Amino acid sequence: MSLSLPSHIPRETFIRFLLAQADDELVLGHRDSEWTGHAPILEEDIAFSNIAQDEIGHSLVWLTLHEQLTGRTPDEMGFERIASEFRCCRFVEYPKGDFAYTVVRQYLFDVAEQVRLESFLESSFGPFKDTAEKLLREEMYHLLHSSSLVERLGDATDESHRRMQAAVDAAFPQSLGMFEQLEGEEGLTEGGVFPGNRTLRSRWLKRVVPFLRKVSLALPVKGENEHCTILCPIDDGGRKGMHTAHLDDLINDMQQVYRLAPGPNW
Amino acid sequence: MREKTSEDKLAEFEERVGRGEKVESGDWMPDDYRKNLIRMISQHAHSEIVGQLPEGKWIPYAPGFRRKLTLIAKVQDEAGHGQLLYRAAETLGKSREDMMSELLAGKAKYSNVFNYPTPTWADVGVIGWLVDTAAVINQTMLAQSSYGPYGRAMKRICYEESFHIKQGYDAIVALAKGTPEQRAMAQDSINRWWYPTLMMSGPPDSLSVHSQLAMKWKIKSKSNEQVRQEFVDHIVPQIRALGFEVPDPDCRFDDATGHHRYTQPDWDELRRVVNGDGPCNAERLAVRQKAHDEGRWVREALAAHHDKQSKNAAA
Amino acid sequence: MDTQWETYEVFHQSRRGEPHSYVGSVHAPDPQMALQLARDQFARRLKCVSLWVVRSADITGTDYQDNDFFAQVTDKSYRDPKAFDAPDRLQPE
Repeated sequence: MSLSLPSHIPRETFIRFLLAQADDELVLGHRDSEWTGHAPILEEDIAFSNIAQDEIGHSLVWLTLHEQLTGRTPDEMGFERIASEFRCCRFVEYPKGDFAYTVVRQYLFDVAEQVRLESFLESSFGPFKDTAEKLLREEMYHLLHSSSLVERLGDATDESHRRMQAAVDAAFPQSLGMFEQLEGEEGLTEGGVFPGNRTLRSRWLKRVVPFLRKVSLALPVKGENEHCTILCPIDDGGRKGMHTAHLDDLINDMQQVYRLAPGPNW
Repeated sequence: MREKTSEDKLAEFEERVGRGEKVESGDWMPDDYRKNLIRMISQHAHSEIVGQLPEGKWIPYAPGFRRKLTLIAKVQDEAGHGQLLYRAAETLGKSREDMMSELLAGKAKYSNVFNYPTPTWADVGVIGWLVDTAAVINQTMLAQSSYGPYGRAMKRICYEESFHIKQGYDAIVALAKGTPEQRAMAQDSINRWWYPTLMMSGPPDSLSVHSQLAMKWKIKSKSNEQVRQEFVDHIVPQIRALGFEVPDPDCRFDDATGHHRYTQPDWDELRRVVNGDGPCNAERLAVRQKAHDEGRWVREALAAHHDKQSKNAAA
Repeated sequence: MDTQWETYEVFHQSRRGEPHSYVGSVHAPDPQMALQLARDQFARRLKCVSLWVVRSADITGTDYQDNDFFAQVTDKSYRDPKAFDAPDRLQPE
């Protein structure tokens, strides 16, 4: 173990927190990669493949940090755990849907990731700060791309508006699950690791609510920005290992070949 | 000044090509040269696009982070190559929309290899190693093509293809070093891909109607047979060095010629497969058609958004 | 109907101080998207500090047929530094 955690940070909670991020990125990256060869136009095919590589690459970065703390390799974590051991939110598990759903999900996720990484710049845990600085640079482009698409598709044609609104209706309640409180999260907040999921969610709402309204997409919220009241049920549970059946399928696919000869044999 | 006759123009064109000078998109060119190029380049582009599918199928199953990332990047390059090639063909006056419509209507041909199934993970490695090696030998030649835009696209493609070969070979080496099941998986895949790969460079030139013209005008500089022989001479020692067998009992090095002898593939099979009757033709085109249809609203909406913006700016 | 969008020509600068050079083109719905799509197609391996895109239709070019456009018939060697042979000194030492 090449890295040790300062004593003021609760280890178990911290590792769960790390896995939540790594698993979000891995599962969403896997979903993004399903567009490779199937996107609406060649140029978007290339773009989404890049985003998939970046997300999976980010997962690898977090899992490498995890390895330094626990000695378990990224491949072991990605390819040997069962679904209930994953800590991703349910939001990233849902099938890729139509391009509208993919774009809306990516946008909501990208803003959340940006908000989270920005908060790590203030983290008391040095390796978090360094990693966030690095990842934020790539994440900027994702957000530019997904927000450009949301902005354009939001009210371009009747069909695009209808599809984008349906995507927001489906994705928004799910996306709130990104901010599900972790068990023992207070320990991380007190230890200065990050400001807590409630704070992150406020910062996120402050960005996504006005942006989506500007492009004529309605949200199930009342009031302005971070002060709004959420009027829909929240689709969470993923951080506790309560996943959708989609995750079982995804993991079965992902681990199928690896399991023929587990370990660094591929 | 006397108007140039088409004989003058043809003579000038052939002289330029003879000098090794490149032809550019605005140049006068014989109709057959243009048609031949559009046919070759669009077939090549279609091959890249359809070629995403057999390997892309394995992206969700790729074992381990490194293989997963590498495979996405590889299939992404194929989309990228298709993009470059369609663009090169567009410089000859045919739109990408038209070329894609022909592909989806089943009127266009593309490389035979992508109509075979990929039932195992080893196929990902073997496609990168065998199929892409054969492709690079052909493409290195095409990078010298007399048509400037084609040659330029080819140069970049060749560079990226060398990554494709490396990653494929690397995946097969891992299987070669693995369990008996992994080795068997690789050998089985080599067996299935051997003849389809030999077919890729096309039938013997005596059977190929297009090859002769293409050589005369320096679109390509080697015969199909030469390209195939180069591939066999290159790949057979590699296959054997990893302890695998070449699935052709008659394949051996001939001291007299300095080349490997090999059994010719079944040219009737090639004809059937490129004419739409291979194991996976219908499936491949159906998948592309679905992506094209389901993406239509996105293409239309983004175009409509730009129109609106432009009108608002003008008002 | 053509749904493949317009084409934009892409120019790429590998480092500050180098000129932008032509690398290819993308189909894109508008200039901003063209920049993003050009990044993914042309700068995913090449090192890049700046990209330009320009709508292909906005380019005006010469015609290959029109050779006379570049014709230089009379002696223009006086524009070349090598065409001058004035000595370093006026008198031999």
